[in-house]
Amino acid sequence: MSVLHVVFKVDGAEYALPASDVLQMETFTGATPVPGAPSHVAGLVQVRGRVIPVVDARVRFGLPPVQRSLDTRVVVGQLGNRTVGLLVDSAREVLKLDPAQVKPPPPLVVEGARGFVKAVAQVGPRLVMLIDFPRVIGEEAPDGDGQR
Amino acid sequence: MTGSVDLADFLPAYLAEAEELLGAAQRHLLAVEASVRRGLAHPRAVRELFRALHTIKGLSAMVDVESIVSIAHWMETSLRHSDRAGGRLPESSVEPLMEGLREIEQRVRQLAAGKPVTPVPAGLLERLEALEAAALGTDPAKPAPVALELDATVSARLSAAEREQLTVGAAGKRAVRLDFIPGAERASSGITINSVRERVAKLAEAVKVLPLSGPAAGGGSLTFVLLLLTDATDDALLEAAGGPPASVRALTAAPAVPAAPIVTTEPELEAVVARVEEEPEEQRRGGGTLRVEVSRLDEALERLAALVVNRSRLTRAVAALTAAGAPTRELTAILQENGRQLRDMRAAIIRLRMVKVADVLERLPLLVRGLRRSTGKAVRLELEVGDAELDKAVADRLLPALVHLVRNAVDHALELPEERRAAGKPEEGLVRLACHGGASGLLELSVTDDGRGVDAEAVARRAGVPVPATSDGLLDVLCRPGFSTRDAATSTSGRGMGMDIVRRITVDQLGGELRLETRPGQGTTFRLRVPLTITLLDALIFECAGLRYAVAVGSVEELIDVDAARLTRPAGASGVVLVERRGSAVPLLSLERLLERGSPDGQRGGTGAKALIVRQRGEPVAFAVDRLLGQQEIVLRPLEDPLVRVPGVAGATDLGDGQPTLVLDLAALGAARSGNGRRERAT
Amino acid sequence: MPEVLVVDDSKVMRDMVVACLRPYPGLTFTHASSGLEAIERLSLQPYDLLVLDLNMPDIGGIEVVEFVRSQDRLRNLPIIIVTTRGDEASRARALAVGANRFMTKPFTPDAILAEARALLEEKRG
Repeated sequence: MSVLHVVFKVDGAEYALPASDVLQMETFTGATPVPGAPSHVAGLVQVRGRVIPVVDARVRFGLPPVQRSLDTRVVVGQLGNRTVGLLVDSAREVLKLDPAQVKPPPPLVVEGARGFVKAVAQVGPRLVMLIDFPRVIGEEAPDGDGQR
Repeated sequence: MTGSVDLADFLPAYLAEAEELLGAAQRHLLAVEASVRRGLAHPRAVRELFRALHTIKGLSAMVDVESIVSIAHWMETSLRHSDRAGGRLPESSVEPLMEGLREIEQRVRQLAAGKPVTPVPAGLLERLEALEAAALGTDPAKPAPVALELDATVSARLSAAEREQLTVGAAGKRAVRLDFIPGAERASSGITINSVRERVAKLAEAVKVLPLSGPAAGGGSLTFVLLLLTDATDDALLEAAGGPPASVRALTAAPAVPAAPIVTTEPELEAVVARVEEEPEEQRRGGGTLRVEVSRLDEALERLAALVVNRSRLTRAVAALTAAGAPTRELTAILQENGRQLRDMRAAIIRLRMVKVADVLERLPLLVRGLRRSTGKAVRLELEVGDAELDKAVADRLLPALVHLVRNAVDHALELPEERRAAGKPEEGLVRLACHGGASGLLELSVTDDGRGVDAEAVARRAGVPVPATSDGLLDVLCRPGFSTRDAATSTSGRGMGMDIVRRITVDQLGGELRLETRPGQGTTFRLRVPLTITLLDALIFECAGLRYAVAVGSVEELIDVDAARLTRPAGASGVVLVERRGSAVPLLSLERLLERGSPDGQRGGTGAKALIVRQRGEPVAFAVDRLLGQQEIVLRPLEDPLVRVPGVAGATDLGDGQPTLVLDLAALGAARSGNGRRERAT
Repeated sequence: MPEVLVVDDSKVMRDMVVACLRPYPGLTFTHASSGLEAIERLSLQPYDLLVLDLNMPDIGGIEVVEFVRSQDRLRNLPIIIVTTRGDEASRARALAVGANRFMTKPFTPDAILAEARALLEEKRG
């Protein structure tokens, strides 16, 4: 049974997330920086009334920053009761992936991707990496005295 | 000591009570109007309207708002004549009275907003004065034909109008006399004349209540005689009065004559009247309710927050004990119970801030009445809100959005009567506002009309976009700022539809949802989901390193100008800058640097032009900012995701640009970032 | 300790009256939100001063004054009625049936305090 995936690009490479984990995709008009947040957090954006953190995929993947363009997108993902955005270079495709297409990532990819890639899929000539969303956004526990 | 009382301190309480009285006055005036149109008298509504105005007048005099005193006085004078005429009022009087209420309301709002109160508009007092003369010309009440079985002492104290009411009665109701004898014992178990009056009000209309002194049943020396019109049984009434020694007896041998036939019907107003009749005044004005300033509840919540913090310290201490091998099973169980109790307590305090949605919407019938006049459309407004409740702060914000939707429905969605007839619809359009308790913590509301529906193609054409494929897409286009489906601004809806405002309030401010369902020719429904409660904050907005921030006004002790020439940098204090404030030196922190906004090359760390002084561990600390932008009330949205839950940031808010603005907790920010550990104290 | 019964259906007004009279040492205050409640309380417990609004639901201040003066026990209870512009006729009535003083809104805290002091001291002395 094939599963619908959202495909997005970061630094020329293609990544995918199951469409069922994606709430929506938004254009990016800037995020409000949050002092003291982890460095891969670009800041806060407001999406349909909700204020959510946005993780910069480039920073997370250790890639050089680029100028944001009209293609830049925020992929809004749902993780349990958390809603977090992922800032990517572009996202414009939805693909059906057959489980047969999906394979464990080759060692080289595992090493290069710091464990953010949990599988790869061969789609014709293209190699699409399935990311481990919880790992990418980071599961930092709330700090001890963070009440209020 | 004597000079210490300042009646101006009562202004907030005055405003709350004035709002409530105005609400009651509007209800009564609508009821009077409905009766007037049916050619009937409504003495009770006239009297209640009179009383509400009289109270407003007296209170306004105490807090020195002369223009409200004058308007209320002249409205009252005209009603006094109507009261003498048995509650009859010429139809032409209604509009000037409505105008008077609107003018009073406007002034109450001005006071609430801290604005100067405008003088009485030209001609209004003259118009109201003229009513007096008109009212004098109306027919006096006719004497009642039927005899009442009453003893002379009671009978002598009834006015002609009251006697007429008791004999003519309201459709099929019985006239009865209920005697209640108060006593110390009864009072101590909660049976007092106020509680009896309140319970009886749910069963009957009280035409007259009077005290009779002299030996009473059960050894008392005082009897309250309540003359009632009712459908309830004697037993129910007796029970409401706490049982014997109270007693009930009928006043007329046969059921009272049915009311005069209805001449014209005004369905919407009738509904209002019906509601007014159903819900006794005492119930709505809330015997047994307490008015509390919201700030006091917030204070209670703050105290509770301190308890919660303390509990988590206790939890950690117990965990440490457990780790050290101590027998903590019982302690842990108590802690768990304690946690549950704190949650319940919080819920209980939040419940105190809830208001009835029905009360919030009480002005809508008046709005629709006005729209009916200005648009020439026949409209019925149905409110189906049940017992739903909302946080007052949410309700206050939401009301303008609902008003907008109802206005749009009448203005744009409903067709003119002839158009409706041609489409095979009833001439009278329907606007229904309903609400349902939704999922946990959310309230769902819907505003439905049976009008023409939204024409997606026309909307797309006007906006210059492709026809939206989904209703969400259509809503997006409708909610574009400035979008209008009308060429000319209409007098009722101002500039077009203003759906962007509805979305701003529902979605951006309150963090709720807005959906649209529409079917061409059949009507449109807007569905709103809003949180039951929000946190409001009076905030200072300022700019620092090109970004806007907000901070709670209450946390800021003082605002000072920073004069670069008067800063001192003590030697050896690792870059600490001191600013002088009334003779003492206060450390000045660069907020820019605390917020990690400084340029990477480091020490630019601006000293800003202004500084906010905040107490941090009891010591004043100044935070340099670039520019103050103003003060406003904001909705605090806590940041829930662990990625952004950081010390020093209390949450985010929307200042109207669709971008989150950080709400800072400066003391916590300073403490979290004050280098490694604490800085030497200044002075 | 002198007991004052403050009768008004407006809570703000009752609070204002209490605030105005507070400076008089040793007073205790009881609120009544209707004329009926006032009569009930008066029939159950003695008071030293009655501050009374004229305009209330069911029965107004005048009827309360009439009731008080019809009771032997209450014949000497000092009564201050609180009135508003437009109440001139009712005020005259209230005085005629036995109210001792009247205050017309707006009044100053000192003014009502002075009236209360005079009445309480007259009663005591």
